[in-house]
Amino acid sequence: MISQLFILSSKGDHLIYKDYRGEAGSDVIDVFYEKVTALTGDQPPVVMVTHHKDLHFVHIRQGGLYWVATTTADSSPFSIIEFLNRLSGLVKDYCGSLSEKAVQMNFALIYELLDEVLDYGYVQMTSSDVLKNFIQSEAVSSKPFSLFDLSNVGLFGAETQQNKVAPSSAATRPIQSSRDPGGKSEIFVDVIEKMSVVIGSNGVLMKADIEGEVRVKCYMPSCSEMRIGLNEEFSVGKSQLRGYGAAVRVDECSFHQSVQLDEFHSHRILRLCPSQGEHAVMQYRLSDELPSAPPFRLFPSVERDSAGRLLMYLKLRCDLPPKRSVSLLPEGAGLSQELSSPDQSAELQLQNRTVFWKIPRFCGGTQLSALFKLDVPGLSSASMLEVGPVGLSFELPKWTGTGLQIRFLRLSPIHPGPSQRWVRYVTHSDSYIIRI
Amino acid sequence: MTDSKYFTTTKKGEIFELKAELNSDKKEKKKEAVKKVIASMTVGKDVSALFPDVVNCMQTDNLELKKLVYLYLMNYAKSQPDMAIMAVNTFVKDCEDPNPLIRALAVRTMGCIRVDKITEYLCEPLRKCLKDEDPYVRKTAAVCVAKLHDINAQLVEDQGFLDTLKDLISDSNPMVVANAVAALSEIAESHPNSNLLDLNPQTINKLLTALNECTEWGQIFILDCLANYTPRDDRESQSICERVTPRLSHANSAVVLSAVKVLMKFMEMLPKDLDYYGTLLKKLAPPLVTLLSAEPELQYVALRNINLIVQRRPEILKHEMKVFFVKYNDPIYVKLEKLDIMIRLASQANIAQVLAELKEYATEVDVDFVRKAVRAIGRCAIKVEQSAERCVSTLLDLIQTKVNYVVQEAIVVIKDIFRKYPNKYESVIATLCENLDSLDEPEARAAMIWIVGEYAERIDNADELLESFLEGFHDESTQVQLQLLTAIVKLFLKKPTETQELVQQVLSLATQDSDNPDLRDRGYIYWRLLSTDPVAAKEVVLAEKPLISEETDLIEPTLLEELICHIGTLASVYHKPPSAFVEGSRGVQHKRLPGSAGSGESVESPDTGSAAGVSDAPPAVIPSQGDLLGDLLNLDLTPPATTGPPPPATSGMQLGAMDLLGGGLDSLLGGDLGGSSAMGAGFGAPPAAPAASFSAPVSGGLDDLFDLGGGVGMPMGAYSPPKTVWLPAMKGKGLEISGTFARRAGVIQMEMTLTNKAMSVMTDFAIQFNRNSFGLAPAGPLQVLTPLSPNQSIEVTLPLNTVGPVMKMDPLNNLQVAVKNNIDVFYFSCQYPISMLFVEDGKMERQVFLATWKDISNDNEAQFQIKDCHLSSDAASNKLQGSNIFTIAKRTVDGQDMLYQSTKLSNGIWVLAELRVQTGNPTFTVSLAQQTVWSNHCSDCAANY
Repeated sequence: MISQLFILSSKGDHLIYKDYRGEAGSDVIDVFYEKVTALTGDQPPVVMVTHHKDLHFVHIRQGGLYWVATTTADSSPFSIIEFLNRLSGLVKDYCGSLSEKAVQMNFALIYELLDEVLDYGYVQMTSSDVLKNFIQSEAVSSKPFSLFDLSNVGLFGAETQQNKVAPSSAATRPIQSSRDPGGKSEIFVDVIEKMSVVIGSNGVLMKADIEGEVRVKCYMPSCSEMRIGLNEEFSVGKSQLRGYGAAVRVDECSFHQSVQLDEFHSHRILRLCPSQGEHAVMQYRLSDELPSAPPFRLFPSVERDSAGRLLMYLKLRCDLPPKRSVSLLPEGAGLSQELSSPDQSAELQLQNRTVFWKIPRFCGGTQLSALFKLDVPGLSSASMLEVGPVGLSFELPKWTGTGLQIRFLRLSPIHPGPSQRWVRYVTHSDSYIIRI
Repeated sequence: MTDSKYFTTTKKGEIFELKAELNSDKKEKKKEAVKKVIASMTVGKDVSALFPDVVNCMQTDNLELKKLVYLYLMNYAKSQPDMAIMAVNTFVKDCEDPNPLIRALAVRTMGCIRVDKITEYLCEPLRKCLKDEDPYVRKTAAVCVAKLHDINAQLVEDQGFLDTLKDLISDSNPMVVANAVAALSEIAESHPNSNLLDLNPQTINKLLTALNECTEWGQIFILDCLANYTPRDDRESQSICERVTPRLSHANSAVVLSAVKVLMKFMEMLPKDLDYYGTLLKKLAPPLVTLLSAEPELQYVALRNINLIVQRRPEILKHEMKVFFVKYNDPIYVKLEKLDIMIRLASQANIAQVLAELKEYATEVDVDFVRKAVRAIGRCAIKVEQSAERCVSTLLDLIQTKVNYVVQEAIVVIKDIFRKYPNKYESVIATLCENLDSLDEPEARAAMIWIVGEYAERIDNADELLESFLEGFHDESTQVQLQLLTAIVKLFLKKPTETQELVQQVLSLATQDSDNPDLRDRGYIYWRLLSTDPVAAKEVVLAEKPLISEETDLIEPTLLEELICHIGTLASVYHKPPSAFVEGSRGVQHKRLPGSAGSGESVESPDTGSAAGVSDAPPAVIPSQGDLLGDLLNLDLTPPATTGPPPPATSGMQLGAMDLLGGGLDSLLGGDLGGSSAMGAGFGAPPAAPAASFSAPVSGGLDDLFDLGGGVGMPMGAYSPPKTVWLPAMKGKGLEISGTFARRAGVIQMEMTLTNKAMSVMTDFAIQFNRNSFGLAPAGPLQVLTPLSPNQSIEVTLPLNTVGPVMKMDPLNNLQVAVKNNIDVFYFSCQYPISMLFVEDGKMERQVFLATWKDISNDNEAQFQIKDCHLSSDAASNKLQGSNIFTIAKRTVDGQDMLYQSTKLSNGIWVLAELRVQTGNPTFTVSLAQQTVWSNHCSDCAANY
């Protein structure tokens, strides 16, 4: 059970405070803030404060804010963290975005939410669908929302700004504003994959995982049913292969509880009645056995030149089909640079002993190279062991590692008036490591 | 206009302004004013002065405004109890509002106003709301009962709310059920003995049905509640498991973990050979792996729990090593937890992969993480013997980097590797010595000094090295000082000639110049040892050290069991039992895992083991007799010295019979020995007559037989006493053996339960008997095919024959057994019931019987009385036949039934008996006669009859 709940800004300002069980005073907020900022680096999410022996803090960080719950009993930190995540999601849905300002402006609404989602510390409901029956306050948005605010650079970089792609800000608006008669009814289906890859120093792929999810953001005032068709060849688990095309396989997938799966086994169709706001409809995971080669390969050579400098020659190849471009940010250890093209930049961060190499755009099928010369005092052959690894962070739009595609998106009954459906794909790097 | 401006008004006359606004006629203005008040409240300003004004705004039909006012009330009612009463009327009125939202809001708020005076007004509205037609109101009211109980428990009981709450468990709306379960669970926690949440198969069934329908949060309440239930048998627990398993694929990880908790607990009840058990194990892995793709906060909590699960059941995740590999962008707290689990999962199969990873981690930037990675390499070497060599060479590579903290950490773990594999890797010492000067941490210095001392004979300049440390002796930490003292003494014992001066120096430094008592005492001990007896000193100081093992960092099994019951809670994150951090106001109960049907005893009660150990132990008493009597008389005798191990619950039915006969035998034995009261008192003194010792085994058999006679509805067949602990885990280096004997289909069997209470796997079991009175010997090898993993039990049945070498034992039925496994050989002794030896062809011809009976001299006869045996002579005869005691003839004289009976022991000795049964008199009289003189002792024995 949750005893108290509060939201703090990153500077420790009290934004929201609610006591559910009257077990401790509000002075614990400051105790918590002291504790959590006492040490550098990230704190584990469960903190016990010793001089309040029977009080435990569980917190998450979302939107630059601390979302904290206290509990006195031996309750489940799992459900508390899950709940805090859900709460921040709800606040985001209701207020449009997640920031100190948004929370401050909508405190009455948030208190109202808190009253409904928790009673005496017990979680009651977190579905925006049910909650909308109980919430009276209207959200206050910081700036008037305009869907066609195309000055906003899209989520996927400049080139993806084609007419069929919605700007990324399109999905950040409060759900309740769709009550306005003038509001657009829109639905976004995002396929988001996170890739974590480890490539050994010998170039062998040591580990490759993809965690993906299908998220639905719904701004339809009323939507009775939606059908999402996935690739027919989609299969779960090792054994079954379907269809004749290239198999799209995942190891495991789980679905939101509102998803009807009766057509999933035969036709790979997810049937659901989306509630307003944002939901992960399906989550899946694939380990090893990727259907395609990893998108980036690195050919590094690290040596010591006669002047005792460390030379790093990095050749990076992008194995995606041509005409795809990505922006990425490889980082390595160590310091003067010669880059192969002018729009790239590199920077040495002494504090982390890292070289950042920024590549704003990288075309598929091409190769880039960089030579870094570093003056390292006292360089020995043993310290060569310390060089590496190279980590890549990137964002690949319109591409999924598993090959998962949305075949169609059908709404029924057909909504009168203009409605927009958007399907977006993106693959992020979660942890893309190439060892040297 | 935005709400943020509320936070910026900080003028002095603010309260007055607000007061005016609150009393304004305009609704909008009122609402704005209340919002400002709430905003001030949030940032910690005291706005309690506005209480009456805010309460005045309460009577409104604007729901939004009402909610705000209620919010204010909840916060300040406690500080203004008298004022709070003003609000009661509105609350009561709101509870009857046609709008269910308002009804629920009123009930919810009233419960949160923790003012005693209000509670009495709350009862009536609450009663109505608990029966409201709207489920939203009912579910709010259910929680309100828990709130009220917290304020005034007596009131809740008096008003009968608890019964209403119990009824709500059967409500048609799953939300209501979930809240009722949550409220009841909480109330029940403060009354540990009440039977509030009566979990029986019917309610469990209801809960399982509700599980499918309610929200994810409700599912958590219900699953947590299920975890407290103990199923009656493995069938029930399997069916619950089957219905809980679908929750594992839920998107809410808290649901998943609660389901894992239920499954981990109920799995204990399932027999391991069941197909379903294996299926279940396989199903547990994917959801646990999926938890690791959640947010880092959830990952952390998941990893702490997986750490427990991996220790309890490593087989679940043994193929999933890769998912625990560290990602470079994981937060540090996740990285450290992952490392820990990697080591736990390391095995010969995956060690190469693990080592490659660890080596990468050891070159990362974060110091804490690098240190832990280096340490992990050492732990791998200790855990997986085959990898030790590679680990050592990896560590040497790392030392070459000369990164200070890496070197120090590596030296600390290399010391541990030396302690695990002595005399194997000394070749690396030279490399270590090169880095002597860079060591500045006490732990690393101490480790290095230990290595130098331990291998002093192979390090040419060991004396110089140690001398260099000695210079700054007083600046060192205690750890280093102690280590230096020991190392120099070791060195001296190994190379006495050239190091005399050094040892003198260190001893005087330690004893005279130090004020640390530990150091001084150790110094004196060494000094005296060396001065009185250098040879003894050598034996003490240079004694062979026990090897260290990787188990040292595992959680202790009983704590682990408790923590498994708390999966998903704070206890599982802290790895501490809840009693360590939850203060006592709510009763904290220790939870234990249920035992599986067969090994209930061994899992549940380590106490039993020690009790049995005690009764084995006292040497002053004739131990076997005490034991046997304990066995025979079982519960009837209470003094601990003779109490046998408490029988497992399954034998409950037999106990009544035991008890009856126990009493009888007690008195008859007592009589036999001249009314020695010591008998009843548990054989406090050794009985004087040497012959007496033989009465025990034989009448033991008898007792067992009659026991059978008393047992209602027992299957026919020889009586088999309940299992007792033969080898307690303390004596068996973690192996616990409990067992019994039985005769099944003419074959004598030894039935044993082997339980591994140690932390490593046991293999290579074998068994041998010492020579014994009846030549009992194993007819086959001990069938333990699979290795016995920690905390696992196995049932073994060992067929016996009677063709082994014979040696008379004292007492006759004593059997000395040796059991061997990969760890050691263990010896224990046990007693078998004589009745086990009665063979099937023990029916004598009538004529022969008559002749023999007459033949046997009176010396070889004995008489007993068995009291309180309510059996007819026929029934007794039937029962006895089940144990191969055959009735040859029956006579009726003067209302007395006389049964003539014979039985044959496996070594061919006949025992004849006359059983007199007086109808209506529960006392049986037995006359026993034995035919041949097999040995002096046997005739002694017969004489005893």
